[in-house]
Amino acid sequence: MSTNPFKITLLISILSIAIALTLIWGTAQTAPNLIRYSTLSNTPYIKVESINVTSNGVYIRLALINNGTLAFKPTGGWVEIVDTGQVVNVTVINGTVIAKLPLTPQWVSLASVGVKGIVSGVLNGSGAYIAFFDVVPIHVINTIGIADVSYADCVLNVTLSVNTVVPVVIGPIINMSLFTVSTPGYYVFETIGIINTTVYAPAGSHNVTLTIRVSPALGRYTYVYSCNYLSGFSKYTLWLPIGVTYIYPTGNVTSYTLLTKTFVVGDGS
Amino acid sequence: MRVEALLQFALAIAFVVLWVFVPTWSISGVNYSVSLMPWGYVVRFFGEIHVIPPPTVYAVWLFAIDAGLLPLVWRRSRYSLYLAALFSVLSLSMLMDTILFQQRYLQFHGYTIAPTPNGYIYVSLPTRPVLGLPTYVLLALTILSIFNMVTRARWLGTRVIEDPIVAVVRVLKALNIEYSRIEHGVEVGGVRIVRQGGSLWLVRDGEATEVDLKTAITEAVKVGLRQPVIGVVDYGED
Repeated sequence: MSTNPFKITLLISILSIAIALTLIWGTAQTAPNLIRYSTLSNTPYIKVESINVTSNGVYIRLALINNGTLAFKPTGGWVEIVDTGQVVNVTVINGTVIAKLPLTPQWVSLASVGVKGIVSGVLNGSGAYIAFFDVVPIHVINTIGIADVSYADCVLNVTLSVNTVVPVVIGPIINMSLFTVSTPGYYVFETIGIINTTVYAPAGSHNVTLTIRVSPALGRYTYVYSCNYLSGFSKYTLWLPIGVTYIYPTGNVTSYTLLTKTFVVGDGS
Repeated sequence: MRVEALLQFALAIAFVVLWVFVPTWSISGVNYSVSLMPWGYVVRFFGEIHVIPPPTVYAVWLFAIDAGLLPLVWRRSRYSLYLAALFSVLSLSMLMDTILFQQRYLQFHGYTIAPTPNGYIYVSLPTRPVLGLPTYVLLALTILSIFNMVTRARWLGTRVIEDPIVAVVRVLKALNIEYSRIEHGVEVGGVRIVRQGGSLWLVRDGEATEVDLKTAITEAVKVGLRQPVIGVVDYGED
């Protein structure tokens, strides 16, 4: 044999080990250029849509914004109001994230609040948490409506349902009237001018009654056509333009609103 | 060609072919996964797919094919089996080095954080490391090639031969004795061994004697060893 197999084997062994070591070294050298960094883009996020302050509590609505192909399904989480220190868990109703907080006195004097929190959920099958912080203006909702009306012997009793964040003074009344809902319509009474009857309601949900004796004594332009409901008519409308003064800690605010109520007297015949 | 060497070749080919379809090593998860394929690490991240080719990955299958092919190509010396065993061990160590590449440069802690317009999103991406089936085939190849090296690819033993003439021929072949095949028999030097029915006949200088297989082999070797040795025996040389 011209070639010694031992020599060939030794040569190839050394060569292949050298190749292997060179590759290991070369891989380590080129690794920083081989690898690439990737991060999520167009990820879904949470935005505070609205804060409604009502006499029943503060409702915070969180909007989920899916602006990419990744779909996020919320399952829970919490929010903290930085200005009041309130922390509450959110509830998810049909994909809408809502937090309800108790109403505290601070809310009345705030114009906007910082809301931070975390919403947990599932992103493409993986558990995910979305953290957010937003400064959001507060929307205060005060509602005053007519719950019930009665009129007998020239005395009008109006029961007002008051849902307000702050105490209110209701009154005065300007140009009220009661008329039948019919064609043609008939007035039961009509006042022109200001009636200085006021009633006070504390903050929260309450019913207050406004009692007015409807007579010409109320003013020069008070026309009373009947001291009771008109016979033959069962459906009436009360037209009650009224002033409402909200007593905020920062000062009183008076606004005028029109309250109306259409009601049926008796058995509706 | 030895079956043992063919088995080694089959394992090497099975490893490479299987690897094309099944990763040898992977970090598997729902939205994030890393799979080691023959062409590199395939990284999947929320539908995005990137291929990262560390050079060592090519050495893994090149060495594995060498380890399978070498004993078939170079059959003269047992050093071919030694070299094949070295190749299989190198292939395995290249695979380990490639897995270490992932641990070192493609390490993943099971989450990702991305900024949003008013905060950030944290996505939990739990992963599970999986050693794939091809890795076990490569491990088997390494073990077999080392075993073949130690046993000189002869661990399956000698096969039982039905035809006594074939048995005689095998012995002659193994001893590198020159012979020629004749009808129903074999001729070594001036001696013929002929099979007739169920018995063996030794024909020397025109006279025939009935012999058993043992005697026939002994006589054939006796004559044959007086001749120059030629021919090739698989992995016969030191």
